[in-house]
Amino acid sequence: MKVDRFTIFPGAAEPIYQQIGAQLRRLIASGQLSPGEVLPSVRDMAIQHAINPMTVSRAYCQLEGEGLLTRLRGKGMVVAQGAHAVLPTEERLARLQVQLAEVARQARELNLPARLVVRRLKSLLEDFE
Amino acid sequence: MSAVVSAVMPPDDDIRCERITKRYTGHAVLSKVSLGLARGTVLGLIGRNGAGKTTLIRILLGLEQPDLGQAFVFGEASLGLSDTAKERIGYVPQQADAFAWMRIGEMLEFVGRQYPNWDRDFVDLSLARWQLSANQRLASLSPGERQRVAVIRALAPDPELLVLDEPASALDPVARRDLLREIVARSAERGTTVFFSTHIVSDLERIASRVIFLHDHHIVVDSPLDDLSETHARLTLPAASPALSAAEVPGEVSRRPQPDGSVTLVIARGRGADWPDIVAAPGTRLDPLNLEDLFIEVAR
Repeated sequence: MKVDRFTIFPGAAEPIYQQIGAQLRRLIASGQLSPGEVLPSVRDMAIQHAINPMTVSRAYCQLEGEGLLTRLRGKGMVVAQGAHAVLPTEERLARLQVQLAEVARQARELNLPARLVVRRLKSLLEDFE
Repeated sequence: MSAVVSAVMPPDDDIRCERITKRYTGHAVLSKVSLGLARGTVLGLIGRNGAGKTTLIRILLGLEQPDLGQAFVFGEASLGLSDTAKERIGYVPQQADAFAWMRIGEMLEFVGRQYPNWDRDFVDLSLARWQLSANQRLASLSPGERQRVAVIRALAPDPELLVLDEPASALDPVARRDLLREIVARSAERGTTVFFSTHIVSDLERIASRVIFLHDHHIVVDSPLDDLSETHARLTLPAASPALSAAEVPGEVSRRPQPDGSVTLVIARGRGADWPDIVAAPGTRLDPLNLEDLFIEVAR
């Protein structure tokens, strides 16, 4: 896995270690990271993103505790074997419920027609493809 | 007495100070500031302009004398640091104007002779990477270039303790990110202890493991960075709240009255602890704070 798969936002309400953890959980839940895949080393992550190494270790340790990552001698952190079950679409969609509800609420406050919001969201999604 | 002190302050702190007080022509700059910095920590010191950050750093390094209190580096009193201790410190002052008449190469050559571990390769690589030429005179450099030279000079002896006073203030975003990476690399690879002051919240949020807010001559927040958002929050109390007649809300860090009679406070709790009961009172609101909000609330 490449270091630049991660995006770090200083200034977000979510601390950086949680941002890393959440991104990893989503990539694992969707099967985009498969068991055995090697994560970037703490050192590489820290230097590339200019973040404290302890922040990276804390995120990795948390996911190790959840059984999503394992430490392999000589290899570093890898995606755990047990973590391979790709979540069904419905469950993955449920993880966006809070954010989507927030977008919907703010769109109503701004009196934006649904089709415009959907069109914008669609083009944002396509940017990543 | 000394046994008591050493039991409280772990001996492996690279920097510590006790009850530092400093006044300039009658007005207080620092008042009873105490802190200990464990080896390997990356500490970010934040505070508004004039909050006393530079004075604190200079006192910690023994460049200035406090009116009261004492500072120590590697266990030695800062005011009488040995040459061996000084060799283990890299310092980037806010304004680096020493040796202005020299050329970059001459200055680095001159300074380098005083250090046994001077890393000549690092100097050459850094000069090239930051587009500096050894022939340029220091006096002719822009503030940003001068800051880069100061960083090279501080890092070349491979210091165990790196102290930087607003190191990024004159740097453009690219050079700033470069510097942050260099600091992170030192910390990750050599366990370098770092103490840096800044007013750029996002820099601090990226690389610090611990953060200190200096405000009104005091340390008002001192916390591991990752815990801040869990342990601090903004509490809004309605004008009629009975809690306002009490002197302080439990965990209160700062308070600010609003024009409509309500009051916003920053409150803190221990890691894993609960918020005080007041947060559940009618009309009361509790909001999360990011680092920048917290800084602005506390430093207002």
